[in-house]
Amino acid sequence: MTTHSFADWNDAQEYYFANGLTDGLPIVPPTPERVQAMLDYAGVDADHHLGTEIIRQKRFTAGKAAVNAVMAGCLPEHFPVVIASLAAISERGFNLHASSTSTNGATVLTVVSGPYADAIGMNAGVEMMGNGARANAAIGRAINLFKSNFYGSVPVVMDNSTFGHAGKITFCFPENLAISPWPSLASELGYGDRATIVKAFATLAPLQVTLHGGRDPADFLTTVAHAMLAFGPGMPEVICVISPEAMQHIGAAGWTRQRVAEFLHDKARLPVSEWMRWKRMGHELDHDRMVPVVPEADRITVLPGGGMAGAFISLISTWGSSRSAIRQVDVPN
Amino acid sequence: MATQTTPIVTLDPRDDAPPAPSRLAQRPATLDGKVIGLFANNKPHSEDLLRRVAAIIGERYDIAGAVEHNKGGWQWPARIEDLQRTASSIDVAIHATAE
Repeated sequence: MTTHSFADWNDAQEYYFANGLTDGLPIVPPTPERVQAMLDYAGVDADHHLGTEIIRQKRFTAGKAAVNAVMAGCLPEHFPVVIASLAAISERGFNLHASSTSTNGATVLTVVSGPYADAIGMNAGVEMMGNGARANAAIGRAINLFKSNFYGSVPVVMDNSTFGHAGKITFCFPENLAISPWPSLASELGYGDRATIVKAFATLAPLQVTLHGGRDPADFLTTVAHAMLAFGPGMPEVICVISPEAMQHIGAAGWTRQRVAEFLHDKARLPVSEWMRWKRMGHELDHDRMVPVVPEADRITVLPGGGMAGAFISLISTWGSSRSAIRQVDVPN
Repeated sequence: MATQTTPIVTLDPRDDAPPAPSRLAQRPATLDGKVIGLFANNKPHSEDLLRRVAAIIGERYDIAGAVEHNKGGWQWPARIEDLQRTASSIDVAIHATAE
């Protein structure tokens, strides 16, 4: 692996800035010792193959993932999550290449479900999508640094996002299991209660929705379905993060995760004529056909999360044709 | 305030592997007598652009015709079976995007 020698820490920082190897913020210099500590914690070699992205023929390795993870400020215990997410986004269906070049400004969102998130200090409460938690910030940043430094999705050079958004620096949060009436997403997907998974998405910026309509989920989720219409028809997937205050009402009403997804799928739809009136669809003969925002209910990932106060839902739309990808986190013993 | 001036060695985060090899498809010596395949990506103006390109080519060469294909979306590659079916009826292909 290529090495660089510098007179001091400041010179190292300036080299990484000058060569476009940061996201605009300072990095932790990736010394061989720090990188090796990442690899040792996860029990993998530098050449360990995480996956190959087929369009650019990029072979993702644990060694390069570790370099970028150190730069991002990760601790070794964060690294198993980083490499699980990078393995996920190498999948063909994720369409990393196209989503990394688009004017839409997609980033990688890594959702973590399972007990390892809590064990490494991930924040699923107040500011879960914001600042303050090292694990959330550093893991998400590691993935984005890898995407730009290793994969080549450099602004202007390859990434031509019209606006971009803050999630292009870091976007990673866990499911809030403490306030959830449901089994973890990992468990519901068949990985078991003790497993931790990552579910990676190519996402645009979150849209926060203030809930109205009392305590009946069928009432206040109608507000959410209305907001989803802004995404338009043909959205590949939507993530719906529900605050604890709203989750209390959903839990009390006995709604399952699946029922929430099915409700939103059913309500977030318009007839072809209406989509056409708003120039969101082209010509189609059957103007009365109802077209949903997402084609199937299981394309809506419902997650409890956020701070205790506030009846809000965060909706996150996804990019183009990208499909989410899941990997189990290989937690060291 | 004193600053640390200890020499430091770091690793490079970029891909050390050489870029995957790629090559251009073989070009015919002339477009005279050839059938041109026009691959649109479903963006609003891509078909307009391709038709204009085909018209310009038609002014310069005695082409045998143009075949249009829309791959249905800008976000994904054309389906292999569509490419194979279209490839059997054309001599050259032009793929374009337009906003």
